[in-house]
Amino acid sequence: MSAQPIPHDAAPKAGRTVIETRGLTRRFGGLVSVNNVDLVIAENETLGLIGPNGAGKTTLVNMISGTLAPSEGEVLFEGQVINDVPAFRRAHLGIARTFQVMKPFHGMTVLENVTVGALFGRNGGQKNMADAREKAREWLEFTGLGGKIEINADSLGGPDRKRLEFAKALAMEPRLLLLDEVMAGLNPVEVTEVVELIKKIRGQGRALLIIEHVVAAIRSLSDRIMVLHHGEKIADDDPATVLEDPRVIEAYLGKRRQ
Amino acid sequence: MVLAQILLNGVLLGGLYGLMALGMALVWGVLNIVNLSHGALIMLGGYVTYYLFTLAGIDPFVALPIAMVIMFCFGFALQWGVLNLIVRSKMLNTLLITFGLQVVLTFTAQLLFTADFRTINPTYAGNNFPVGGLTVSVVRLAAFLVAIALASILWFVLNRLPLGRAIRATAQNLTAARLYGVNPRVLYAVTFGIGTALAGAAGGLYGMISNLTPYIGASLTAKSFVIAIIGGLSNPFYVIFGGIFVGIAESLTALYIGPTYTDVISFGLLVVVLVVRPSRAVRAA
Amino acid sequence: MKRFILPAAIVIAVFMAFIPGFASDTMIQFWINALLLATLAQAWNILGGFGGYVSFGNSVFYGLGTYGTGIAMATYHLPFGVGLAIGVVLAVIGAAVVGLPILRLRGPYFAIATLGLNGAMLAIFSNLSIANKNIGLVLPLTRNDTMFYELSLGLLVLCTATVWWVSRSRYGMGLIAIREDEDAAGTMGVNATLYKVTALILASVFTAVAGGIHAYWFTFVDPASAFDSTLNVRMVIMCVFGGPGTVFGPVVGSFVLSAVYEILAAQISTAAALLFGLVIVLAVIFMPRGLADVVGRGRALSWRYFVRNITENRL
Repeated sequence: MSAQPIPHDAAPKAGRTVIETRGLTRRFGGLVSVNNVDLVIAENETLGLIGPNGAGKTTLVNMISGTLAPSEGEVLFEGQVINDVPAFRRAHLGIARTFQVMKPFHGMTVLENVTVGALFGRNGGQKNMADAREKAREWLEFTGLGGKIEINADSLGGPDRKRLEFAKALAMEPRLLLLDEVMAGLNPVEVTEVVELIKKIRGQGRALLIIEHVVAAIRSLSDRIMVLHHGEKIADDDPATVLEDPRVIEAYLGKRRQ
Repeated sequence: MVLAQILLNGVLLGGLYGLMALGMALVWGVLNIVNLSHGALIMLGGYVTYYLFTLAGIDPFVALPIAMVIMFCFGFALQWGVLNLIVRSKMLNTLLITFGLQVVLTFTAQLLFTADFRTINPTYAGNNFPVGGLTVSVVRLAAFLVAIALASILWFVLNRLPLGRAIRATAQNLTAARLYGVNPRVLYAVTFGIGTALAGAAGGLYGMISNLTPYIGASLTAKSFVIAIIGGLSNPFYVIFGGIFVGIAESLTALYIGPTYTDVISFGLLVVVLVVRPSRAVRAA
Repeated sequence: MKRFILPAAIVIAVFMAFIPGFASDTMIQFWINALLLATLAQAWNILGGFGGYVSFGNSVFYGLGTYGTGIAMATYHLPFGVGLAIGVVLAVIGAAVVGLPILRLRGPYFAIATLGLNGAMLAIFSNLSIANKNIGLVLPLTRNDTMFYELSLGLLVLCTATVWWVSRSRYGMGLIAIREDEDAAGTMGVNATLYKVTALILASVFTAVAGGIHAYWFTFVDPASAFDSTLNVRMVIMCVFGGPGTVFGPVVGSFVLSAVYEILAAQISTAAALLFGLVIVLAVIFMPRGLADVVGRGRALSWRYFVRNITENRL
């Protein structure tokens, strides 16, 4: 089907639907930021979400994670409509996200930051402090921050802050992980490290949504790619098909080549 | 007829309330400081006007601009010497420090001016004239007109003068403000000075209509805050309208429920306004 | 040094239990006031220090505790314990009723909303006939300062133990996460509304008991002393000066400031109140993390610490 072979890690075959949106729309005053978007991600599946700045990617993530209410449409998690479920309860259901603008808890150490994730994540997290700390340590080890757990989160550099965002979200043991531009601002070597990290967390039953500008990276990570343009979905297919689509090239990729 | 009179009183008083809130809205909108000492600055302006009248024998309406200049200098110094030191700190800390300033100003006033009630009482204080069956107090009407005039001047400064453009640029973005070639420390101090001068004018007028004591600050801060929220932080005239709204609500409360509940009503209004328009509260936080 | 703090605190608390054995009457009276104020500061610390929500309205719970005890004992001749319980129930209801709407507000909106609370309650109780309007209530006299002292000490110990638990529990981590970034805390699964309201309720319980003890000790309750807005000034300042969000900071801060206040108030009471305002202004500028952070640095402390606090936050 694909016109050219692309480096594409075969993920386990997709299973049950984890997250679905139906006709999701958000208006800010007269401006339509997200317009009638249908989206489906299944277990073990990774969806790449691309689009020019202002296309509505983060708005879409905000509506899924519950920090923003949709103007129209539905968000379904494992078949249940969750439009009225507040953000904290969505976290208990198993939705976790990273923020484009990184938000470590300033007054806390790296370990404490991740411990919050372990204490309050899916199913309300660990109730016991010692267990939560242990779990947080494991995820910090996993994300390569094992040597910096006692450092204050404020004094971490850019790439390490990205890792911290990862560790916080992973410690919540999510079923759906929303990664909002985790590679922005990183140099090529750091991008490769993050790509490796994401490869490690694919599968294991999770559904992944990755928002990214680095096309090469998202092509190698995604099972499918969805393109937003002016808030509307203009493509949703396997990476090769999408990246060859003339509309996509014109709307997004073409502009980048200029 | 009683109701019409009450409404008229509410409108006239509301103009003054709007003026009280004007300085708070300016400082909040531009410097992002919720100034809990704002009411104490109003109180201070009242005493300055009072002493210009009683000691120097200056007519209170003539004393008002003098009091505003004095209060401007005081506000400028306060921002320059104290508040500029913590401006980039958390909102929690600006709340605490202005709360502390309120305590300092209140008890300094008590030491200097004693706790006795003071009223600015020019010879024409009791004068009034009839209009279509209603009685209009000269002082209240004058206070209302002064409030409108000052709101107009503030609007003109903010929208038509280079200083105003620099101030509005600061409200948007501190680094953009530097492009105007203004030292932000000076600009912050000037803005706070203007806010304090407006508080001073409100205090002088308040002293002609009501009693001054060192302790009126806290409730005036709360009232100014309510009005600033109702009126918004962007347009001086909206703030005046907010003041008129609260003035009418208070007058009606005094008439129908009882005068001791007028302070409760501004608190009730605050909660109602915030609960009805919560998105705004969340965004500004 | 850190691991000696808890044993040291226990030793000091045990020692303090024996103070009435040898101290003078005026000394015991000073300590009753200081212990009750420290309890207020420590209770304020739960939502203010850990949750980052500045309340200027906790005096309302003190007033409700005072009136609950006062009405029960003066009007219905019920025992002190029952009065305290009624006061606590009133305060908890008050905290829930007030907290649910206004804790939806963030930052300055919450703070100012609480600023109006005390005045509103003062107006209501001044018109309430069950509370004898603004004349006040006289409680049965019990001359037993030692008992009031031990009650106050016990309350402070209990409140501090609660804060100690908060500081190392899942609950406390949730509150701190709310303080640092409420939106992020929410997306990580912290039920912010529940945490904030329970923190306010927890604070209201200790505050109300302090009010009840003071009412019985003072044997007189009226609106102006029950809903005293200067109490808010004092509890906030003592907590911030001592170290908000720490376990022992608010207690130490209260004791230090109570002593200073006592000495100054003997000269001019206005000067003492003025000093409180100055303390909070200077504390926010020079030591925003409170006395606990300054002392915790031990020998590493130098004037550079204070300079750094300014350069970090100035324009």
